[in-house]
Amino acid sequence: MNLAGIPFFDACGIAGALLLAAGLYYLLVTSNLIRAMIALELMIKGVTLFLILAGRVTGRQDLAQALVITLIIIEVVIMVVAGGLVLGVFRNTRSVGSRQIRNLKG
Amino acid sequence: MQSLLILVPLVCLMLFNLPWKRGVGQAVSFGAGLAFLAAQAAAALWAMLSGGEPFADPLAGFLVFKTSADGLTWVMLLTIAVVAASSLAVSRAAFTDEKDRFYFANLLFVSVIGMNGAALSGDLFTLYVFFEAASVASFILIAFRRGMAGLEGAFKYLVMSTVATVLMLTGVGFFMLAGAGTSFAEVRAACLQSAHPEFARVGGLAFMAGLFIKGGMVPFHGWLPDAYGTAPGPVSVLLAGIVTKATGVYGLIRLTGSVLPMMPEVQTLLMTLGIVSIYAGALAAIGQSDYKRMLAYSSISQVGYIVLALGCRTPLALAGAVFHLLNHAVFKSLLFSNAAAVESRLGHNDMNRMGGLQAQMPWSSLSAVIGLLSTAGIPPLGGFWSKVIILLALWQAGFHAAAVLALAASLLTLAYFLSMQRRVFFAKGTETGSAVTEAGAAYLWPQLALAGLTAAIGIGFPFVYRFLLTPIQQLLW
Repeated sequence: MNLAGIPFFDACGIAGALLLAAGLYYLLVTSNLIRAMIALELMIKGVTLFLILAGRVTGRQDLAQALVITLIIIEVVIMVVAGGLVLGVFRNTRSVGSRQIRNLKG
Repeated sequence: MQSLLILVPLVCLMLFNLPWKRGVGQAVSFGAGLAFLAAQAAAALWAMLSGGEPFADPLAGFLVFKTSADGLTWVMLLTIAVVAASSLAVSRAAFTDEKDRFYFANLLFVSVIGMNGAALSGDLFTLYVFFEAASVASFILIAFRRGMAGLEGAFKYLVMSTVATVLMLTGVGFFMLAGAGTSFAEVRAACLQSAHPEFARVGGLAFMAGLFIKGGMVPFHGWLPDAYGTAPGPVSVLLAGIVTKATGVYGLIRLTGSVLPMMPEVQTLLMTLGIVSIYAGALAAIGQSDYKRMLAYSSISQVGYIVLALGCRTPLALAGAVFHLLNHAVFKSLLFSNAAAVESRLGHNDMNRMGGLQAQMPWSSLSAVIGLLSTAGIPPLGGFWSKVIILLALWQAGFHAAAVLALAASLLTLAYFLSMQRRVFFAKGTETGSAVTEAGAAYLWPQLALAGLTAAIGIGFPFVYRFLLTPIQQLLW
């Protein structure tokens, strides 16, 4: 398959949509908190690609760059907090399975 | 002056955490927090009464984005200041360890920066950045005690909030595809005269779906009772009173009121979700035996009224929605302060094991009665007027069925609250004649101040209408 033949934004769009779908699916089926974090990461990466694509298509790469850099910083902060929470769960239950944390019922 | 509302708490936060001698930061943070929040409330009131800011902005150049303020911003800033101050006051009583109090004050400052920034932002991306600041602070606050329940509530909130973020950013991406930047004015223009109006429409829907999750509307509400119910007392005051309102609900008001144009399908969606939230929240609240979870479901139900009014999309309905947000912040933080006081005395939230606290805790009982009457919309308290405005606006706009349904739901509200009041305070029960004492003054004065405020809003309604709500009616375009 000749990757050079695929226009940049097609590749970006397809990869972004795939990442979003994979992340959402993984989030729904997994019962492991670390994997849930990975799923969230996948979804955020998908939407990052989508923003780059939107900037490229409309010719506003500067705006897209500013958005994506800010987005990456915020994403790191959220993942650090998520990691802290999972660590707290592990300290309490010696496990990172989400079956242990289904005491609350929505 | 607008940039100071973000920069001052930021600088305070840094100063507290410099390596001072032991205990200096701890000693200063509480007083500095209350002083800042009082100043913020005063500035917001000044701006509403005089129609302009107290002084020009000396530091506007320090921020990379432009702040913008209108009538809605000032109401939000006032509400944030009131609720955050009462949460800070309750934290003084709820946490006995100096260090815990200090951590709480720091996180409260982060949260206030996030909410103030969101209220002052003039574009969708800045809105998102500040929402995240407020949300991250609340994830940590919910898990403050590091207990299993708090960690679980916080993780659920984190997952749902991140999914909401992804939806909101997808919305921003679609707005960009429609040819807009991220500022409210550009998005508004793109919705009206874009080469691809369908992109703008999809973007609006995606952004709104994110806000529904953040605000805890009914099909997306699963995280909300867990987060509110498991958080420590002062944290649930902050979360229920303002954080979800200043993020999700404020975003919805801004988006539907002054960014997106009239779209009939969106109106129908908002009204349907509003009615469903009102009823599902109220019916679920009836079945709860945990005091804080019941209040959380009641919160969902009250947010339903706000969204219902947004769906109506008339100037009067918008004013009613904002007024109900203000009232809800006041009476819900009152009720959560009350729950914190009861929890501190009994050590649990199970309403079935309460009962008969009336004799021991008369003042808490009084403040709970005022809070529940205001929520149920009994005149002359504040909650009555906002519900009346919403119902009148619905009726005027021709949504008679929605108005009747919303009115009928008030009876449900009264039903679950009277059941709560009976099970906790009035009826004979486990605690009748027990050695429980009235909660300390530190718990009581925020409650009584908030009770006085909700009564004052109700009695001073003509004044409130003129200075707070008239400017908001002009926001709708």
